[in-house]
Amino acid sequence: MKKLKSITILLIAGFLLASSCNKDNPQPVDNTARLTLSFYHLVDSLPIDFDTMKYVNAAGNPYLVSEIQYFISDVTLHNTDGTYHLLDAWEDIHYVDTDLYETFKYVLKDSILPGTYDSLIFTFGISEEKNQSLMFVNPPESNMFWPEYLGGGYHYLKLNGKWKDTEDIIHPYNFHMGIGQIYDPESDEITGFVQNYFKVKFHYNLEIEPGDTIFIPIDVHVDQWFENPHVFDFNVWGGDIMQKQDAMQVAKENGHNVFQKSMIIGD
Amino acid sequence: MKMQHLKQIFTFRFSIKHGALLLGFSMLFFNACVDDNNIDEVFEATPYQIEIPFGFPTKLNIPENNPMTVEGVELGRYLFYDGRLSGRNHPDSLMSCATCHRQERAFEAGVDHPDFPGGFPHGLTGLPTHHVMLPMINLVWNHSGYGWNGFLYPNNPEENLRNIEDFVRLTVMAKDEIDGDTLQTREMIQSIPGYPELFKKAFGSDKVTFVNIGKAIAQFVRTLISANSKFDKYMRGEVQLSQSELNGYVLFTTEEGADCFHCHGGFGNPLFTTHLFYNNGKDTEFTDPMDRFQISKDPMDHGAYKATTLRNIEVQGPYMHDGRFATLEEVIDFYSHDLKDSPYINPLMHHINDGGILLTPTEKEDLLNFIKTLRDDDFMTNPDFGKPGKFPDEK
Repeated sequence: MKKLKSITILLIAGFLLASSCNKDNPQPVDNTARLTLSFYHLVDSLPIDFDTMKYVNAAGNPYLVSEIQYFISDVTLHNTDGTYHLLDAWEDIHYVDTDLYETFKYVLKDSILPGTYDSLIFTFGISEEKNQSLMFVNPPESNMFWPEYLGGGYHYLKLNGKWKDTEDIIHPYNFHMGIGQIYDPESDEITGFVQNYFKVKFHYNLEIEPGDTIFIPIDVHVDQWFENPHVFDFNVWGGDIMQKQDAMQVAKENGHNVFQKSMIIGD
Repeated sequence: MKMQHLKQIFTFRFSIKHGALLLGFSMLFFNACVDDNNIDEVFEATPYQIEIPFGFPTKLNIPENNPMTVEGVELGRYLFYDGRLSGRNHPDSLMSCATCHRQERAFEAGVDHPDFPGGFPHGLTGLPTHHVMLPMINLVWNHSGYGWNGFLYPNNPEENLRNIEDFVRLTVMAKDEIDGDTLQTREMIQSIPGYPELFKKAFGSDKVTFVNIGKAIAQFVRTLISANSKFDKYMRGEVQLSQSELNGYVLFTTEEGADCFHCHGGFGNPLFTTHLFYNNGKDTEFTDPMDRFQISKDPMDHGAYKATTLRNIEVQGPYMHDGRFATLEEVIDFYSHDLKDSPYINPLMHHINDGGILLTPTEKEDLLNFIKTLRDDDFMTNPDFGKPGKFPDEK
């Protein structure tokens, strides 16, 4: 019996050792779900034809789009029972760059509890609490830094392109959003700062089951930055806005209509 | 009883034999799992650690097949400065990286180069280089391409055109630089007493290969870090800038000022370059076969070149890809009122229809004073970056 015991112990030990590095070993069942947001950049509801002066905004300004870079953060799922789930890992500030295809997809690192959710909310830009200088030291995110003198932190948005004025002269535009400044009209000194990030809310009826991977496509209607509810006229505002809080306020209010939901895909 | 005894003996023998086999089998699995413990005796050099300065990126461009080592950097420094890198030893035929890349000029030529009037380099045959030089500063943080048009980049499908290692090879072979060949250089270095031992220490073999020559020089170049300028000290809260420098800093980082920061960085990007490529309004016609368009094939990249780092820009020159400006004052004048429009101008040049940023003389002076705060004298005098006192065969 002793020998049988020895064999049994050896066998168990052997299997334990053998299985200790078996990568195919069944993992504990994950009862949570995953969320991925995908961004589709459009003008006039069609994919953008970059660097082509083929668009006309609501003010009648012909324009082209060269590149778009922006941050999305604080993605929150709201439950029908009134609770919400903030997907709040620090790295869940996502950078989107139309020159970097891999950034179009935002795979959230936090898992989601199964349940019924009726809305998704995210921040366009970065909240005041999180928008700290030198938070991103590596490019491309670090290239979004917003100068200390103008409020610090990071650009929420860089939308670069060109527009044509009433005399058919082409001008560059840098439709950049971030922390705005209040200037003393006499001295032109900065006396205060304005947070221009804003929240975007989509209503859904999301039944999330354990193990689900939910893909939420989001259409980014670039033309809406210039249209709704305020018509943005480049001939009035000029091409650069990061030191023009009134223009950034217009952008902020128009921005709610830039992001629109598409049909959700689940697996 | 007898049968039972035999059975027990058999069982025992079976158990010993198979138990041992099973255990051995299991250990094989176990060893496979911890194969780090199963490494044969291999060559190991001393790892070289790059310290990340305040605010600098943490991601380094160091190829997996060329890890930094103390021995590799030391060897690279010798080779960087040794004119016999040309593969020749006649005094008129010596050329190394340092022939053009001078430490006192932030590893650029500088307009006062004794052999290249105005800072326009030429190779051993007298053929001028296509573009003027770029400095060697903080290149370990360059991920988007080396050279004015970024033709060497990490994920290049052409595997031999990816990094500084490849630059070494191209430099040795280029007609307008060393005009040598890699075999000749390898044989020359192999023949110099002292070098084989250094290769042995750095790479585990005293047989000199050109691949290892490139690796060693690249390792040395990656140590050339500039992060102790007056502006760095200001960032770290150690010193204050003068009023003129502060005024210049505001101009540098404001859209309605000089708006330099979008391409050249600042507090949030202390490399003082995005390492990206821009058409900055120098010309209206673009015929250079080595602009960014030749690499990206994006029509908007006609006439686009790398935004150079502004660190130590004061001691460099001439400026722009073709060296058209000899002084920083000329560069500031250009950005102030001499910009030229074209369909390819980068949208970030939003002052284009005014001809530039229209600075007053005082503003120009302030901006220049700020840019001069990016001068790092420690970088230009660091003995670790300088010419070795003796080459290996002189010891």
